[in-house]
Amino acid sequence: MRRPQATPARVIVFGAGATGARVVRMLAESPEVGRVEVRDPDTARLRRTVDSCDDSVTAARGLEMPPDADMVVIATPTGTQAAAARAAVNAGASAVTTSSEISETRELLALGSLAAENGVALVVGAGFMPGLTCLLARAGAAEFDLVDEIHVAKAGTGGPACARQHHRALSSLAIDWRDGSWTRRSGGSGRELCWFPDPVAGRDCYRGALSDALLLVPAFEGVERVTARLAATRRDRLTAPLPMMRRPHPEGGVGAVRVELRGRRAARRHVAVLGAQARPAQGAAIVAAATALHLIGRADVSGAGGLASIRDTGRLLRAVADRGLRPCRFEGFTLSRDETPRP
Amino acid sequence: MAAGLIALIRRTIVAVVVGMAVAAVLRVRGRGGVPPQTGGWRELRDDELA
Repeated sequence: MRRPQATPARVIVFGAGATGARVVRMLAESPEVGRVEVRDPDTARLRRTVDSCDDSVTAARGLEMPPDADMVVIATPTGTQAAAARAAVNAGASAVTTSSEISETRELLALGSLAAENGVALVVGAGFMPGLTCLLARAGAAEFDLVDEIHVAKAGTGGPACARQHHRALSSLAIDWRDGSWTRRSGGSGRELCWFPDPVAGRDCYRGALSDALLLVPAFEGVERVTARLAATRRDRLTAPLPMMRRPHPEGGVGAVRVELRGRRAARRHVAVLGAQARPAQGAAIVAAATALHLIGRADVSGAGGLASIRDTGRLLRAVADRGLRPCRFEGFTLSRDETPRP
Repeated sequence: MAAGLIALIRRTIVAVVVGMAVAAVLRVRGRGGVPPQTGGWRELRDDELA
């Protein structure tokens, strides 16, 4: 159900970094959005972002929410998003967050009852991974009778905050869903060669402190295993327990995500592998902006969850593809095999 | 007595350093699997996105 938006929406964007600045520009160009207010503690960056857009974009500071805000997009560094999300939900505005940190994701999901009470949606992890990976998992699951396993992986980093999070994730405890319970595993363990869409191709990937399993498990009833990995070099693994040796680049190069689904289709084992390639900050911005536009004016979505849990994900994935983030499918391999059905 | 203690400390340090070097080599060597021998990526059509 889509409530007609009488006046163009007012959107508040927290963060004017590599992802946030792109979100601001995408929303400002949308006819559904009349006004975008961008907030960032870095005054110079805030000014640059506002100056690069038309008059519909204004600068502001702080966490205070205006009563007429329709949507809030939070693209600040992980660990700082829960406070802004809580302020948005308390003010009766839907919010789209991009966090990939485990503890913050738990904190955001815990706001679900408050969001449902206030009749607003709180989307958790609407970025490249998690985010696009959740949409791909949902799209791929349509061809299964039952999804047993979901394995997601990511290569590349966006802005400096994303690179720092990647570094921390590799040395922190990972969380896997295995046979119906949560399992803690060491970050940097579980090496697996994952094949991403070109030009990224094959990269060794490892467990890390990634929040994907927390978002995918509630969305796929009966799933037995969910894991998340991130690509890392030998130097990344050796230096992971140390502070970052040098300042991260303003933005990383081309990255990619990959989702592998395993399960049953017509009493046979079936495997589907989906992916996409983009600069991670660009990919995250497309997913966050498309999600915000998807939710503006919708009265039938409330509560907190990942993108695999929200309604009408097919339309959202098409909107993401229309913005240039085109999903791919790996074909021609022989992993599917006949199997007698379980009793 | 003092010379023996110093030799023990020296050997301990050498053993720890060698152990760390071996652990570092074991941690970074090898690869995580075999690349796929067949297949490739193709973009999804619009009707496959729903």
